[in-house]
Amino acid sequence: MFRHVAVALLILVAGQSIAHASDVNRVYVVSDFKAPELERFAATELAGQFRRLFQNVEVVATNKVPAAAKQIVFIGSPATNPAIKQAVGSKWPKVSDQGIVLKSVQASGAHALVVGGDTPEATLWAVYELGQRFGVRYMLREDIFPLEKQPLKLSGFDVTLEPQLRTRTWRTINDFCIGPESWGLGDHKKFLGQLAKLKYNDLMLSIYPWQPFVDYEFGGVKKQTATQWFGDRFRVDGDTVGKKAFGGAKVFENPDFAGKTGHDELTAVGIKHARGIIAEARKLGMTVGISISPLEFPREFQAALPGSQVATGLNQLTILPGAKQGPNDKRLKQAVKAKIRAYLQTYPGIEKLYLTLPEFPEWDQHAQPAWKQLSAQRDLGDVTLDQLIATARDRKLIASGKRGEQALKGNVVALAFLNNLFKDESLLTRADGGRVELVVTGVDPALFPLLDRVLPAGAATLHFIDYTARRVAEHKELLALVPAKIVRSQLILTLADDNVGILPQSSLGSLGTLMDELKTLGWDGFSTRYWIPAELDSSVHFLAQSAWHADLTPKDSYFDLWETITDNKSATQRMWLGEQHLQQATALIDKNDIGFTFPVKGMLMKHYRADKLPDWWQEANDHYTQMMIELYRVNGSIDPRATKITFYYAKRGEYVLTYLAAVKATREAAIAKKNGDTEKTIEHLETAVEAMYDTITTVADVATDQSDRGLIAVLNEFAYRPLLAEFEKLLDAE
Amino acid sequence: MKRQPSQPIVCMLSSVRIALLAIVCCAVTSVTSAEDWKQFRGPNSTGVSTENKPLPVEFSFEKNVLWSAELGRGIASPVIASGRVFETTMLDKQTFAVMAFDAKSGKKLWQKEFPAGKVPEITPPNEHASSTPATDGDRVYVYFSTLGVMAFNAADGKLLWKQPIAMPHYLMGWGPANSPIVHEDLVIFNIDDDLDPFLVAFDRYSGDVRWKTPRPEMLGGFSTPVMCTAGGRTDLVLAGSGKMKGYDPQTGKELWTCNSLLRTIMTTPVVVDDTIYMSLQSYGDTERVLKFALLQWRDTNQDGKLTKTELEKVFWKKFDKGDKNKDGALVGDEIDAAFQAPSNMAGGGNIIQAIRGGGKGDVTKTHLLWNLDSKAPSNIASPLAYDGRLFVVKKGGISSAFNLKDGSTAWPRKRIRNFGNYYASPIAGDGKIYVTGENGFIVVLKAGPKPEILAKNDMGDSCIATPAISNGRIYIRTLKKLYCIGK
Repeated sequence: MFRHVAVALLILVAGQSIAHASDVNRVYVVSDFKAPELERFAATELAGQFRRLFQNVEVVATNKVPAAAKQIVFIGSPATNPAIKQAVGSKWPKVSDQGIVLKSVQASGAHALVVGGDTPEATLWAVYELGQRFGVRYMLREDIFPLEKQPLKLSGFDVTLEPQLRTRTWRTINDFCIGPESWGLGDHKKFLGQLAKLKYNDLMLSIYPWQPFVDYEFGGVKKQTATQWFGDRFRVDGDTVGKKAFGGAKVFENPDFAGKTGHDELTAVGIKHARGIIAEARKLGMTVGISISPLEFPREFQAALPGSQVATGLNQLTILPGAKQGPNDKRLKQAVKAKIRAYLQTYPGIEKLYLTLPEFPEWDQHAQPAWKQLSAQRDLGDVTLDQLIATARDRKLIASGKRGEQALKGNVVALAFLNNLFKDESLLTRADGGRVELVVTGVDPALFPLLDRVLPAGAATLHFIDYTARRVAEHKELLALVPAKIVRSQLILTLADDNVGILPQSSLGSLGTLMDELKTLGWDGFSTRYWIPAELDSSVHFLAQSAWHADLTPKDSYFDLWETITDNKSATQRMWLGEQHLQQATALIDKNDIGFTFPVKGMLMKHYRADKLPDWWQEANDHYTQMMIELYRVNGSIDPRATKITFYYAKRGEYVLTYLAAVKATREAAIAKKNGDTEKTIEHLETAVEAMYDTITTVADVATDQSDRGLIAVLNEFAYRPLLAEFEKLLDAE
Repeated sequence: MKRQPSQPIVCMLSSVRIALLAIVCCAVTSVTSAEDWKQFRGPNSTGVSTENKPLPVEFSFEKNVLWSAELGRGIASPVIASGRVFETTMLDKQTFAVMAFDAKSGKKLWQKEFPAGKVPEITPPNEHASSTPATDGDRVYVYFSTLGVMAFNAADGKLLWKQPIAMPHYLMGWGPANSPIVHEDLVIFNIDDDLDPFLVAFDRYSGDVRWKTPRPEMLGGFSTPVMCTAGGRTDLVLAGSGKMKGYDPQTGKELWTCNSLLRTIMTTPVVVDDTIYMSLQSYGDTERVLKFALLQWRDTNQDGKLTKTELEKVFWKKFDKGDKNKDGALVGDEIDAAFQAPSNMAGGGNIIQAIRGGGKGDVTKTHLLWNLDSKAPSNIASPLAYDGRLFVVKKGGISSAFNLKDGSTAWPRKRIRNFGNYYASPIAGDGKIYVTGENGFIVVLKAGPKPEILAKNDMGDSCIATPAISNGRIYIRTLKKLYCIGK
């Protein structure tokens, strides 16, 4: 018995001495057991980061500070963590609900660091901010940690950080298979995790009428349409180039929808999918909104909406109000209500409902009475509709001239309709009694000065202005017309435009201009727009940083990101040159042929016409070539942590060149065909087919996500196959 | 475990054993040689099957598949001997494996796994399991960059010996992809990298190094050694930067050199009778030496100089050798001096050539039979000598053929109607040529004076490994699977 006690004591003493010795290298991450779930998640995240960042450190997550602790990290705020209250007392800084606190303190003889904020969301961002300050860089697909572990450092922090832009929205789902509409829930979750680390705090699910994310009935008609990607299907067969990227699948699908058919089955999956995305965003402390086009319905509703007309969109999947349906049309109003209620019932937890005004309004005939209606409801001063039309016609945006007039008129009618619609305040009431914020998207810039008077009461706005960031930046004076301090306003920042298309894009410089404007003018924030995430790391990082730092330039941000992860200044400088070439190439396409690689049927064969080769093609080709060279060059000289990313970028630079070669050869084939030279036509087409083949295999070589696979599917369906068919037709006829 | 050459008793025993084994091998050879495909591209790396069994024309990953097996990732070709098929693969990012299958049934006979360790950077489409095994029927010999050369008992997979090989380094980051061969009682293996290229022969029974010959004039390349018998002498022939060289296979001593090649050598020559045929495509023109590529791709800050920080540390010794004025930067000729041997300033270009074997010393003027400046060859797919013609295929599925006798064109630049890259080398047998595209399609051509497409067969996944022919069957390794095709 005595022997056992002695042994037990020995073990205990030894254990204590070991514990005591290891306390030197032990850091306690302290959160309160009653802390909000997100705050406890923040503690877990910090513990995980510390284990990867610091050498010889044992990280212990705990709810209580051990007496022997020498190194402590407190997570939360005095309100959520009594240990912080005790350690900081009255020194807790005054911060907003988004303010971040990183503060070194001494607590009972221990080195301590407080990582937190007044809300759990801010606390989570504080953890990620600390990680960034310790050298972690959050990319879209992964975190890049410093190459070598460093000694633990808890001292020297006295940081409070407030956002310059409070709403940092990420848009998802969208409408092409090259974008997040093809991502499975697992892909979304991973992506959202990275966005949270970059302190994006709002998610917008951009949903279209034909998609399988809601079910509703109106006027005896039940929604029947449930399809993705504008109804396009992408087969993967033996002849599909780059098929290795699909892992043996016979068709390209969103993995969550694989094998599902029919409205009911697809919609059930779609709702589960979207709810999963929303739940994940909430888990990460984000607010969530859904964006819909209220006046657009699937075509089966034409029977219930007499007078409606088929919209001129892709594959003509929807109807829009027609000439006979004015802004006071009762059936239309009921239909829109039914749709809005269906969304709010299906997704009861959302905070915002974005209502997008139609991009191509077809009911501009009612503009004058609608204007009168708006004027009667609010004081619009002495502004006339004709004056606004003149403004819309004369501007330099894509929507100018006749299109500008149509856009404005349609907008006016739609706004009159919405003002009528939301007289019923219950429409925005959630099942839990809470109220969903209304955000109106796509108000015509001519109406900006009147924004607070033409919107439904209390509505916020999300502004589009034009397709690319460069175009918006060129008209940045329009931003000043928005009464952003009265109407909560966000700007859509296009990171990569679907019209410019599938090629790598960057508008980093323009994004810098626009972010400066938003901050100066007191806008609430921004919302992203993109399809393929590919090389958007630099832009996403810039927006994330710029939203918190007043004077950060795109270049500063770029170097902060790439110099940190490449560990090579020279390489970063060359990458920066490559980035500028990319921006110039993007701008060239945007300026000269904005639909150059729009990912739809005919995307390549539209160049099969006997027109002169535009000079800018060569110029764009030169810029992309330089971009690719810079990326391949740095790839051989930088830290291996970064090479996976730069190699991916470089391969995408390579694919552009073969794509452009295919376009050029296609045009040359058309010229030869017009000249009656069949042999030359075949020769050029052969070159084009081979170049397109190389394009796709180059993408497939580095395909990493569903967007890359979607790109391969698009290139096969809309570029390679029609080109090959023409080539073989001529060959067989020879 | 290793036998010490200095121990006379062991040597004596070994001699007896070698003699006995030679008899056994001869006996085995007489039974199996017509059916076996023992190394990269089979008999002497020719890609030609000499057996007279009919080979399938139409097949796919679903059609005429006798058996198939999941492998893991890799681009090493299968080898077949004594009714067994051997393959190497990466089971996952951390695990290298050697596998043996029953050739008839596809039943897995054994599998040996090894932690891969810290694998080097490679450039796709290269894979870590890229080296094709070699076998003598009793043993199988494999190479893996982090493990070296290893020999296994062919019957049960028991590891018999292992010889570490220093990690190769490539200025352009390609990564290793060389394959061993077996010649008589030797396992011969070469690494032409940009750091310390060499040719080595191991005793195939013990793994002892029988000889090792440095190849300091060489740069990174992936040619496999072949044997050429001319004038009654059998030489080991190895292509490398700028030079085709002949060695005494028993001693590793260099016998001859033909200074007619280009800088970057990724193809393997083929031997017909006493003549060696080679096809090459290298970037740039023949004047474009390595420095241009290094200044383009490794001069990170584009200041026209190479500094140490722009190169991996392993190259710093070479850097110092070139930095004549010791200013810490390589400029112009200093770059050549650092990395390219002064006697071997080969550049780029496109060529197809025939070199008569044998000879002594510099045979460039005496043995180079013909040399075509042709854009027909691939930089990676090796040529195929079959039916009196040298067949080549390149990117885009463009095939050409040249008459072996004088290099005259049999057919120029004909499409085989399968686009894309060609990394696997063509093989032939039963009057047919099998051309494997990276896209997983294998085009079957009828051998003859004009190309005639017999079939285009879809293997369902990327194909970079060269297929193998044995006993009327074709063994095809896609990126992840092994198929045995036959009827």
